[in-house]
Amino acid sequence: MNGQTAIAGGDPVRVTKLDSITFDFLLASVDGPRAVFDLAGIELITPSAMVQLAAVCHALARSGDRPRILVPARSVRGYLARAGFDAVVQNVAWIEPSLPWNPYEYLHGSNPMLIEVTKLTDGLSLPELLDHIIDVLRNSLSYEKYDAFDVATAVSEVSQNTFDHNRDSDTCGFLAMQVYGTGRKRFLEIGVADYGDGLATTLRRNPKNLPVHSDADAILKAVQVGASEHDDPTRGSGLYHLLQTGYKHQGTIQIRSGRAKVRYRGDKRQGWRFDVQHLDGVQVALILRAKTQSLGTH
Amino acid sequence: MEVRFKLSKFGKHLWTRAKAKTIRLELLAQLEKLHQGDTLIIDLSSVEVFDFSFANELFGKTLLSLRTEYVGRFLVVENLTDYTRENLDQALRALGLAIIERKGTELSLLGKAHAVDHATFAAIAQAGAPVTAAALRDELGVNVTAMNERLSKLVALGVARREKTASAAGREQYEYRVLA
Repeated sequence: MNGQTAIAGGDPVRVTKLDSITFDFLLASVDGPRAVFDLAGIELITPSAMVQLAAVCHALARSGDRPRILVPARSVRGYLARAGFDAVVQNVAWIEPSLPWNPYEYLHGSNPMLIEVTKLTDGLSLPELLDHIIDVLRNSLSYEKYDAFDVATAVSEVSQNTFDHNRDSDTCGFLAMQVYGTGRKRFLEIGVADYGDGLATTLRRNPKNLPVHSDADAILKAVQVGASEHDDPTRGSGLYHLLQTGYKHQGTIQIRSGRAKVRYRGDKRQGWRFDVQHLDGVQVALILRAKTQSLGTH
Repeated sequence: MEVRFKLSKFGKHLWTRAKAKTIRLELLAQLEKLHQGDTLIIDLSSVEVFDFSFANELFGKTLLSLRTEYVGRFLVVENLTDYTRENLDQALRALGLAIIERKGTELSLLGKAHAVDHATFAAIAQAGAPVTAAALRDELGVNVTAMNERLSKLVALGVARREKTASAAGREQYEYRVLA
């Protein structure tokens, strides 16, 4: 398949942006062993797409495959390197054409509008990332301090889930963030993904959560307070808080696990379910818009 | 005896369950040194934010351990901001737990407590000395069964302590108090 197309109104539409929605077109185009992810035609790739792609590459590597990621566009190729994607998939995927070295490595951490794709294996790297998110929300998206704390808290909970719920399966998580636009049109996207057991499997470990009929059912259960694999009252509030925070700030939240995803719109306080190609683990996208006219550009 | 545990020495932004676990070990070491009736104060001055995992692990698990391993010790929080108070209250409500907050000399409850629990707790605190269920019953105007239920709940939450004493007539009775 050369490039990505989606069907809209019966007509194929060329996809130029790989994000939390169109990532599933890409995943659906890949079948069988020796996976190839063809990013021809893609002009922009967002944090949630990058962390999902990282998760699927690691999942494939775990089953013995080493996928190829074809990135003909030089700008996208450069962005993937700049955004740290190369570093987290270097041992599990081939990126073609390859760069002999990462010319952007020295820039790591220098752009406040970007959090490079970061591997989460424990909580050690999280405090710095969360403080970065607070700074961006306050200084670039005009969030009040406590609102920024709310968002960071929700991201913290979801990020901890990536390694906390998958301790026995030797997996990890990924987090990335990018700020787009200027002024009132400025927004940020945060992606968090893992390739662990997924919501249905983890929730089924606790009989109190039964029955969990499907992946979609698991997502809907997981956004209720107290749903957890652990029979422990101190567990199970991460996705609930994420959704409440997204609603409060009228953001967009997408939760994907297994063969389902639910996309919630904060302004409507409503979620829409979609059946998607299977992907191990849980993948979350959070999109938040600037509160008011913010100063400066990037 | 009161022992103060300053949380800000671990940072003003306190993230993750893992971080709380390491702090809780230090907190438990302090609790070990206390005797029944003693108080451990968690001082949150300068702490701006903590996540729910942190709150659940540090406050939630420590409160749960008061019921079994450190019976009769009090855990008190001080110097919360409006934000940390709201988040701690929310975290404890979800866990069905409560903690004592002290502001100056004023004591109140955060977390899962009904209005009648707040009233009963306040009545014990205002008494300033151990007080019997009968005295509280008279003050709050409820029957003895209801008062005993309220007091049992506060004791189970670890926010009040029950002590066996003898009445003036020499009868065995229970008295209730909060903090020393």
